[in-house]
Amino acid sequence: MTRIWRETGFVENDPWVIETEEVKATEDQKPLLPLDEMIARAEESNDVGLGVLIRPADDVRKLEPYLYRIEIVAVDFPAFNDGRAFSHASLLRDRLGYRNELRAVGDVLIDQVPLMLRCGIDSFSVKNATALKRLEEGRLPGIAEHYQPTARHAEKGEGYSWRRRTVTA
Amino acid sequence: MYRYDEFDHAFVSSRVEQFRDQVGRRLAGELAEDAFKPLRLMNGVYLQLHAYMLRVAIPYGTLNGKQMRMLAHIARKYDRGYGHFTTRQNIQYNWPKLSDTPDILAELASVEMHALQTSGNCIRNVTADHFAGAAADEVADPRPYAEILRQWSSVHPEFSFLPRKFKIAVTGAERDRAAIQVHDIGLHLKKNEEGEIGFAVYVGGGQGRTPMIAKKIKDFLPEEDLLSYTTAIMRVYNLHGRRDNKYKARIKILVHETGAEELARQVEEEFSHLQGTELKLPDADIQAIAAYFAPPALADRAEGWPQLAGWKKQDEAFARWVDQNVKPHKHPDYGMVTISLKPIGGIPGDASDVQMDAIADLAEEFAFDEIRISHEQNVILPHVALADLEPLYRALVAQNLATANAGLITDIIACPGLDYCALANARSIPLAQEISSRFGAAERQAEIGELKIKISGCINACGHHHVGHIGLLGVEKKGAELYQITLGGSGDENTSIGEIIGRGFEPNKVTDAVETIVDTYLGLRTSNEETFLEAYRRVGPQPFKEALYGDAKAEAA
Repeated sequence: MTRIWRETGFVENDPWVIETEEVKATEDQKPLLPLDEMIARAEESNDVGLGVLIRPADDVRKLEPYLYRIEIVAVDFPAFNDGRAFSHASLLRDRLGYRNELRAVGDVLIDQVPLMLRCGIDSFSVKNATALKRLEEGRLPGIAEHYQPTARHAEKGEGYSWRRRTVTA
Repeated sequence: MYRYDEFDHAFVSSRVEQFRDQVGRRLAGELAEDAFKPLRLMNGVYLQLHAYMLRVAIPYGTLNGKQMRMLAHIARKYDRGYGHFTTRQNIQYNWPKLSDTPDILAELASVEMHALQTSGNCIRNVTADHFAGAAADEVADPRPYAEILRQWSSVHPEFSFLPRKFKIAVTGAERDRAAIQVHDIGLHLKKNEEGEIGFAVYVGGGQGRTPMIAKKIKDFLPEEDLLSYTTAIMRVYNLHGRRDNKYKARIKILVHETGAEELARQVEEEFSHLQGTELKLPDADIQAIAAYFAPPALADRAEGWPQLAGWKKQDEAFARWVDQNVKPHKHPDYGMVTISLKPIGGIPGDASDVQMDAIADLAEEFAFDEIRISHEQNVILPHVALADLEPLYRALVAQNLATANAGLITDIIACPGLDYCALANARSIPLAQEISSRFGAAERQAEIGELKIKISGCINACGHHHVGHIGLLGVEKKGAELYQITLGGSGDENTSIGEIIGRGFEPNKVTDAVETIVDTYLGLRTSNEETFLEAYRRVGPQPFKEALYGDAKAEAA
């Protein structure tokens, strides 16, 4: 079973749905639209509160003119080892200044969650049993020391040794 | 050399505990092997033919005596009493138990070492010129930049699941001893007309089944932009590198398919956004790291000159060793010593625990506690006074570490091959041993001169056969091992990919074939000053084809 996790805990009654042939959003749900559909919808309407699904080969920069109308961006990890969504997330947060919900969908495993958090992903669609168990127990396998700036600041200070020394000097 | 501070210690300890947790989950069955695999790889743990293998990082090949002693200790306690130094300046152990690996990593952490990112589809150990900080021809020491790159790339959240592995090499001199043009990114430290330090940036070099020479995409990158520009390259590669076929996933294929000019444009576009951000390296920050790599205070030891001349006159073997294995240092009273890990008939790159301990002692006694590992699988003592060469040599002889063959035909690079590796098609080590024994006589090696033989047991080219003056590639044909020969490869500032000379040779014929090639060279060189590579570049493959196959057969091949 798929559950949505954020750092505040599991989210019940999440409305966002990735539509397929069989699955469609119901009245009280909302679709995560493919990039081109989202852009078409935005161009044709004044809708706000949109949701968009970024596939690995998409150019996330196309979202720039519409970001203020977007409530959630989902970035897709079709397999845990397809790391393109880490760059999508970094671009959204660092380059485009996107501040709303950013969700990882697809093959979301516990050992990748800390890296995703650091790239600015703050919402997780999780179905892996071990991942669910660890998240329920609040046991993330990340490390607190970071050697590079990322979308999210490190818990234990910025970690370049040259920067540390500049501070203490 | 670089010293860990509290932060670095905390980082490495956290990483060890993180891996201990992952190993625990794997052993408990909570973590599937396919999901565990990239995690263990990023901690240096491979699953090989007979056992797990642990590859320990030696960042840019630099270590001290205490660290070398730890490597010896690990060989003794957790392995079978030896380790294998690799072409990426690392060391690997062939027989550790998976359940021991967290403890091994914890022991390494106690001497500021780790196995981070020595494998996996991430940014690997950054390599550099093994004579860094000592070579007379150096523009600047490449190691501070390699260390900055090491830190920046450690557990980089955006670049830990790249399409494929990613290797960066840095050289600080015109003479390229780090083979930068066969790396994913090659950085050549240089000065511009104003005397400022920067880099020529090469991308897309590599060996493997599709060897390619890197393309220069930036003539001069100011040093302050090192991380922003590297991030730009990594991001373009992470987003656009091929993921549909692992054999086409390296950045060299992206460069090839996109075109170097278009790729450079994409990198520039990304760089335009990243330049001047938090990634900028101000001069004071670079100096803070560079200070760690300050050379030892080298007192004048001019008495070494007459002593050395005297020793050489008395002992022919010592003289040969000095001529071959000691190179000029920045300071005229010192030399850079190559300790050969290529004993005649031995296994290239292997060292026993006893030898490693001895090297640690000698580095402390004679070499300011500095040791390097070269990408040619030898050990370097970069600062030795000429006045200390004779006692050093005596001690090395006692450990079978004084083979006088640096750069000669028996200084062979070989991958582990079918004796260890799960990927190999053919054995590499026994062939290296046979060639070494065939050409082992000192006079014969000296007559042949500089000649680099490199052997890979499969198309993945870990033995760098593409850039061997003579390259030997093991292939499997109808269930039997066969060796293909390439000639004219080179991994220096004039990098070239060797050309296949003709059909392959059976294992029992290949050493004869190498001998035929060598004899052909000796017969056609203009003088004994003309090296094998120079001669090959002058005459081309034809005389060698004729010697190996005869006229008619050469055409058929």
